Amino acid sequence: MTAVLDSAVESAYPRYLHCLDLADENGAIDVALSLLDAGVPAERVLLSLVAPAQAQVGEWWQRNEWSVAQEHAATHVSERVVAAVAIAARTRPTRERVVVACLDGEWHALPARLVAEVLRLDGWDVTFLGASVPSPHLVSYLHRHDPRAVLLACALPMRLPHAFRAIEACRRTDVPVLVGGRGFGADGRWAAKLGVAFASDARAASSVLATPAFDAATPPALLDDTEYAGLVAAKVELIDLALERLDLRRYSPAQVDATLADLGYIVDSLAAAVYVDDASLFGEFVGWLGEVLSSRGVPLHTVGLTFDVMADRLRDFPRAHRFLREVALRPAA
Amino acid sequence: MNPADLDGSESGGRQVPLTAAPDRPAVTSLAPRQTPPPGELALVDNFREGVVVTDPTGVIREFSQPALRLMPGLVVGHTFAGCGVAPLSAGELTIGERRVRCRRVDLTIAGATSIAWYVEDVTDAIARSDALLAERGRARFLATASQQLGNPLHEDRAARAAVRLAVPTLGEVAVVVLAPRRGRARWWRAGGGDGPTLVDGGVHSADGLPPAVAQALDGTEPSEADWLADQLAEVGWLGGRRPDTAAVRVVSLPGSASPTGALIVVRGTPFDEHDVEMLRGFAARAGAALDAAVLYRDQAEVAETLQASLAPSEPPGVGGVQWGAAYRPAQSSLRIGGDFYGAHELPDGGALFYLGDVSGKGVDAAVFTGQIRQGIQALRRIESDPARLLTLLNDSVLETTRAHGHGRFATMVLGSTHPTHGGGLSLTLASGGHLPPVVLRSDGTVETLDLRGMLIGVVPDPRIAALTVQLAAGETCVLFSDGVTEARGGVRGEQFGAARLVAALEGCQRMPAPAVAERVEQVIGDWLGGRNHDDIAVFAIRAVPPSVPQRHLHAVPAS
Repeated sequence: MTAVLDSAVESAYPRYLHCLDLADENGAIDVALSLLDAGVPAERVLLSLVAPAQAQVGEWWQRNEWSVAQEHAATHVSERVVAAVAIAARTRPTRERVVVACLDGEWHALPARLVAEVLRLDGWDVTFLGASVPSPHLVSYLHRHDPRAVLLACALPMRLPHAFRAIEACRRTDVPVLVGGRGFGADGRWAAKLGVAFASDARAASSVLATPAFDAATPPALLDDTEYAGLVAAKVELIDLALERLDLRRYSPAQVDATLADLGYIVDSLAAAVYVDDASLFGEFVGWLGEVLSSRGVPLHTVGLTFDVMADRLRDFPRAHRFLREVALRPAA
Repeated sequence: MNPADLDGSESGGRQVPLTAAPDRPAVTSLAPRQTPPPGELALVDNFREGVVVTDPTGVIREFSQPALRLMPGLVVGHTFAGCGVAPLSAGELTIGERRVRCRRVDLTIAGATSIAWYVEDVTDAIARSDALLAERGRARFLATASQQLGNPLHEDRAARAAVRLAVPTLGEVAVVVLAPRRGRARWWRAGGGDGPTLVDGGVHSADGLPPAVAQALDGTEPSEADWLADQLAEVGWLGGRRPDTAAVRVVSLPGSASPTGALIVVRGTPFDEHDVEMLRGFAARAGAALDAAVLYRDQAEVAETLQASLAPSEPPGVGGVQWGAAYRPAQSSLRIGGDFYGAHELPDGGALFYLGDVSGKGVDAAVFTGQIRQGIQALRRIESDPARLLTLLNDSVLETTRAHGHGRFATMVLGSTHPTHGGGLSLTLASGGHLPPVVLRSDGTVETLDLRGMLIGVVPDPRIAALTVQLAAGETCVLFSDGVTEARGGVRGEQFGAARLVAALEGCQRMPAPAVAERVEQVIGDWLGGRNHDDIAVFAIRAVPPSVPQRHLHAVPAS
């Protein structure tokens, strides 16, 4: 039976991707609902159809095969599919209330949304607050509704310092915090560094929530963030130094904005790596950046030059300096 | 050391010989010396430390008076055991009821080996430092409690924090009973059985509460009497402990007006005055925390009601129209602000829609948007032409602002939409001083409409701009507030501007309307990079072919 169901999902997958490509909301919902009709459990539709398709879309964007507008439209369609599947599954909550939210500035809501729906299917009374939830709103929601726990998603490691501030704000409400998402490292190692409970997926999250010991207050992590603070203060200066080496006259206004944004991401990622004191955070970002930029025809030696300029300025920043020196920029395979 | 430390040691029977000190070496000297004649220990009789000298086999050779006071029965010529005294060993030990610090020094005196035992009574010093440590411990406990109780702003969570903190410092079981609401009292308990950290709870009818608890909830502290434990056992709060072995205290948790709850602590040992003092200190802190939580709840309820009435409502389903909206108020905890949008269905099958921005920020501005939306709601029944409706609205706003003297004004785009043949929409737009909308054409280009007009609510009969625009199937008109174009961000905090908005929407022609609105919200969010912003509102109207059936969101039964 499982094999039959798997093959049903497998055969629906190309049709589903086609619907995403056309931004065909109704078509995509039909594909998902017909799987439910065929007896495929809702959880499998979410995790074996919607999730991998979304990962595929991200990859296409990364390789510049899809525009950001296409990716955005597809994500919206996926969100609608998740909503439709959730409504069709009609689970009655039998367990306590949990709140799922993406941290401020986190727009990749779909993975968190999938976790929220799988938890709902598992009987939890889930409130999904959506993408980029401002901390004050999140905190007042927690004070108001006293949930069992709050699950916070962070997709981008460069957002970790911000994520940690939001986590601390949530902890001050006394509501237990559980985090997830690739922003905390594939194995959650940066969550461990920040002293916060981590779940790698929805299943793991559900079982952590069911553990009474999860309530035990965790001591606040003590991070030495002097170097991080210095980097944040030097951000604009670093970007300006890097810009001096580029011939901006040849750039269109949109290209200038994109370059500024990329330089901002480089500094943010470097700062986040310094924050958790882990060179691999910056290394992983640079690997990703190399693929994104080379697939868009940006010459990588200009990025290498940027690293040199920044390393030169950051001689008094031992971690940042070492991370910039150790990293190697490679084009996409 | 202070003089008080020596008090007890100076009560020795002999006087200090005035000639003693200069010509005699110290007793503790390890240098060989003459064996003093009997009674020559007179000098050391006035030391705090007592001394007992034995030969290598343990037979007592001599001892000083303080040693005798600690160990009555010492006799020269006997062993310790022979005198009925427990043998000494180096370190801290108990002799009778006293704590004694003891050290051993091996001496060679005139070729003969002796063992000198120095014993010091440290009972009082230990008691004093214990009291100090206990006092410090209590202070530290209350400081920690203050800090942790101040965190939650939810009554139940504050109550749970209180019982968790109370165990084990105050007692083995702690119960907080919250002041009853609508005849029912919630309670939370720690140490009730399944492990000390586990907190359980329940609801009790206010009438059936134990009298002592009801008394504490009225603000008077019940006296400690045996029947307290019986009362609690009756409602099952003792957690398996026997009432006859339990010491129980019930105290009020004081609030600003009346007690916010009652705290019950149960333990096996009786409460002394320090325990009760600490219990009251803790109760004061827990009461303040619960008081803050109740205050927060009451205010949050008001805010939620306000928010619900002022937050944008879901646009109605209208044939051929797909709506998409994004809304991000500057004041993010309350989620209301001075931007507003909305749509109403028209009797002729079309729809009326609007997006605007009032002067000012926060709750005041939000209340004003409510008045404007109500105005539109009422006026649309007598006028469906957008420009004429805006003129009427202007008169109504002017009247209100003059009556209240607050001088508020608004900018807005208001439009009506009707389906055309071929799946398109015909939009009639009117603007009162608002930013011109943009249109996403089916070829991926973005067109900025030429639509300005004058502010609403400033002068009578303002100039209202109006135009008609056709949307083909799949084309989208986007209305937005100045929070979008004036968002300060990027590397140097510059304004986002209209050009970047147009660039962000180019090529987005295939996006559903909600995705278009989300995209603008996201691009602005990235641009801001966490900086503060003004209210942000986006409202997208997309022409969708009416042939596409409205989505059924239920599972179709398998055929």
